[in-house]
Amino acid sequence: MDTNIVEIINVTREVAWLPWAVQYFFLIGLSVGGLLLSLPGYAFAREEWRRLGRVALLVALTCGLAAPVALLSDLHQPGRFWHFYVVLRPTSWMWWGSLFIPFYVTGLLVHGWACFREEFQQQGRVDSRLAALYRLAALGGGRNDRLIRGTGLVVLAGAALVALYTGTEVAVVKARPLWHTPFLPVQFLMTALVGATGLVLLLNRFAAVTDHEVEVQANRLLAGALGGVMVVGGLWLALGLFGIDRTHAEALESVAKSEAWRVTAIWAVLATALPFVIAVAKPKGTGLLTGLIAVHSAWMFRWTVFIGGQTVPKTGAGFYEYALPAGPDGLLGIVGTAGLWVFLLLSITALLPTPPRSAPHPVRAVPAADRAVAAE
Amino acid sequence: MDQSRRNFCLGAGAATVGAATLSTAPAEAAVARKGGDPAHRWAMVVDVRKCVGCQACTVACIMENDVPENSFRTIVSTYEVTEHDSSGTYMLPRLCNHCEDPPCIPVCPTGATFQRRDGIVVVDNTVCVGCAYCVQACPYDARFINHETQTADKCTFCVHRVDAGLLPACVETCVGGARIFGDLNDPGSTVSKLVREQDLKVLKPEQGTQPRVFYVGLDPKFQGRVDGTPTLWRPSAHAERSLAGKEHA
Repeated sequence: MDTNIVEIINVTREVAWLPWAVQYFFLIGLSVGGLLLSLPGYAFAREEWRRLGRVALLVALTCGLAAPVALLSDLHQPGRFWHFYVVLRPTSWMWWGSLFIPFYVTGLLVHGWACFREEFQQQGRVDSRLAALYRLAALGGGRNDRLIRGTGLVVLAGAALVALYTGTEVAVVKARPLWHTPFLPVQFLMTALVGATGLVLLLNRFAAVTDHEVEVQANRLLAGALGGVMVVGGLWLALGLFGIDRTHAEALESVAKSEAWRVTAIWAVLATALPFVIAVAKPKGTGLLTGLIAVHSAWMFRWTVFIGGQTVPKTGAGFYEYALPAGPDGLLGIVGTAGLWVFLLLSITALLPTPPRSAPHPVRAVPAADRAVAAE
Repeated sequence: MDQSRRNFCLGAGAATVGAATLSTAPAEAAVARKGGDPAHRWAMVVDVRKCVGCQACTVACIMENDVPENSFRTIVSTYEVTEHDSSGTYMLPRLCNHCEDPPCIPVCPTGATFQRRDGIVVVDNTVCVGCAYCVQACPYDARFINHETQTADKCTFCVHRVDAGLLPACVETCVGGARIFGDLNDPGSTVSKLVREQDLKVLKPEQGTQPRVFYVGLDPKFQGRVDGTPTLWRPSAHAERSLAGKEHA
């Protein structure tokens, strides 16, 4: 039947998860991705991964420390955050998240300290006014691979829980077909790896001396992660396109008629395919470009999922309008979080400058037996 | 899986809800319920054939519940429908469905939102952290963040009035008698009779939430997300413009 419906009166529901949430999911994802990239070099003591691992650890620490601030800001009553900790709410993934986040961030700090301990020790030997502080931070020790591995495995468990909860928390929302897909946690993790690798490439590029070995290594990893993103995205699309699964078909149908969503889809494909091709074809000397696109791609994915997803009405016609406010609930929140991240990066790198590559390897006294364990 | 089995009658049974299919609350939800009188199960029947779209219910709700500007606990969605060269207006009052299996409750990380033993879903805004997870989980866009309390807000069936033996404000004010409120546990109540005797429908039955707001004369085209041309009106933008106009004046 030829029916035309015009909605005359209805209400626009404003987005309730604000750009703060985008920032949180972006930063915590990058932190988890950074940690995973740092593990081979540190926790598993693979020397060829060590330099990339150091940059990745910086990504994990800076993003991991900034992320909870963004999350707290997304609460409309941030002063009541302690309400999470005085109840048992196992049916809520967000409640589980309130346990996982402090576990992960604390583990990350301890692991970061264990990894940087030999650098603290080294800095403590330099004749400077801060030497005593560095010695204090080193707690009278140096590199301890067993400690690094132990803390690394604990924080890996924390990262896995964070990745699980961040994805599942959103994927269980049946009311939003775009979110209600088992692919979402995987997509969050894969794009987090893309973003983290991208940020490694950027930090490596902006370090005093660009390390081309790290660049090539990271670009290869990036290509792998982007390949994964394309495979998972393709599967999601196929389920919807061929009507294999009703929720996926509904999700696709809910946005298919929108010109803006079509542009977003093309944009997403380009932001995935382009860095993939560059990273495969020319992994050396392209880190700045692939890194920028990768970080942007990971952020855009979260923006599209959260802000875009909330502009799809659950009952009304068409789409809700969204314009980014200039204040704390919008642009200021995004810039503020980015500013916090820059501050953390500057602070950490000022305290622990990148060790010069030409210098002999710092305090290497790992017994051969330990090495054998590490290599297993 | 449990949920889909539990909701099979309402979910798979297209939209028709007869008295025979009214299942009870899921065990875990019933256990978690607190407050209210378990002797009652409050529900509403909306007869869309009688609604004239006057929005008196919308205004009465705002006045009764001190709903902030630009926010609505209930609204009458209004559509112009053209079929075979003839046009008409379709009115659909919307509110919280006080579902038997409300998806907004299990997601709440603090227990601020809960269901009373009489079925009314409420928010304790002294406990709510404003995380808006419930806003996302509601399939009916019935929840919002109240920017005066910075907590989740929604229709409460005017619980304060119901506890005092009064009708919800929207029901009290409805000029056409389109909103009928009553107790499903009382077989003699009007809502019980309507549920038993009429071909009632609910919004989005496939979500398996088992709404306790039923509709008489609900067109299937409006049962889920409406496929139509959207409204251009955005209350907050409208308010901003009005404010700017006043400032200029």
